[in-house]
Amino acid sequence: MNRTQFLTHMDELMELPPGSLTGSEKLDEMEEWNSISMVGFIALADEHFGFIVSPRNFGSCNTIDDLLNLIKPLQAA
Amino acid sequence: MQAAVKAIEYFLPPDVVSTETLAAQFPSWSVAKIDAKTGIMQRHIAAPDQCSSDLAVAAAKKLFESGACSPEQIDFILLCTQSPDYFLPTTACLVQERLGISTTAGALDFNLGCSGFVYGLGLCQGLIASGQARNILLLTAETYSKFIHPNDRGVRTIFGDAAAATLVTAEEASEPLMGPFVYGTDGRGADNLIVRAGGFREPRTESVAETDRPGTANLYMNGPEIFTFTLEVVPACVNRLLGQTGLSIDDIDLFIFHQANRYMLEHIRQRMNIPAERFFIAMAHCGNTVSSTVPIALKEADAQGRLKPGSRILLAGFGVGYSWAATLLRWTSSGH
Repeated sequence: MNRTQFLTHMDELMELPPGSLTGSEKLDEMEEWNSISMVGFIALADEHFGFIVSPRNFGSCNTIDDLLNLIKPLQAA
Repeated sequence: MQAAVKAIEYFLPPDVVSTETLAAQFPSWSVAKIDAKTGIMQRHIAAPDQCSSDLAVAAAKKLFESGACSPEQIDFILLCTQSPDYFLPTTACLVQERLGISTTAGALDFNLGCSGFVYGLGLCQGLIASGQARNILLLTAETYSKFIHPNDRGVRTIFGDAAAATLVTAEEASEPLMGPFVYGTDGRGADNLIVRAGGFREPRTESVAETDRPGTANLYMNGPEIFTFTLEVVPACVNRLLGQTGLSIDDIDLFIFHQANRYMLEHIRQRMNIPAERFFIAMAHCGNTVSSTVPIALKEADAQGRLKPGSRILLAGFGVGYSWAATLLRWTSSGH
């Protein structure tokens, strides 16, 4: 999954029009980053990256890009 | 002697909260969105004066009225609840008296949530295999709604109140009709699904109970943490069970997991490569009823003709604690 595909998935999870997210958005300023989209992100990481991510892991992520950077290395591995 | 599930009945209290009602109260959540995320169309809610013993008694009466057995035949009551009528006495003792079950019967409560039914079957098997009981009334009963704050849309959409009554009897059989059992516990998850106030660690006071927002007197659930926990333990638990028996997913006629919510169940099903036609979901009419979801789904699977004598069913319960368990069941009778 490349970055564009990831952002499109995150648009969908956050119920935003496709192409909305650029990656630099700050999570703590987004009301769309809620328990439902977090569950969706956990499912995405599991399905597409084969990695079970915990909210403890992404608690330190500040932006959408940080979420991708958290799980992307695991896809390569 | 082998322990066998002989009959199941369940009771839902009459008051209903529909998804339409919740969508009207929380306008940012549409009916379609709630349905897509939960697979639940309505939840039954206990009346203010309706407690777990009332639901359990109603379910047990349905069981007796079905002709499965009579109260006099019951020699042990196991009752699973986390929302008992009282701190003490034991809810199972109240139920014994109200059902007219013999005073020579044993009775006890055990406190577990979504893993409770599978644990209950494990206890039944132990009691029967050791000759301590022959006809066990296994009751699961919860009124979680009494813990839930009316403004907490997340948990209100998911949980419903219910009780189930399962008759587990001693049978002459050449091979086990339930088991083996695998269990798991991880108390590190305690904070992620909890009613913090109301015991002695944090007494329930007016200041924590009467607020306009969910507080420590209410049910708190960290949905993302619970989802992660489920992904971490359920496939591993099922694989451990299958590994003990030398069976594979293809050998199982029907999978019945704790009916947490449809989104989570579908994700786990696909992750484990379980065919949809052998994975049973029955929660649209009642929601997540905690320890009653598995017996309710079993009853519905039987009613829909999905179970035949000899069917091999894999049951898995998981949740609050954290606590989880899985077992295999051989279906011995169909009530439809």
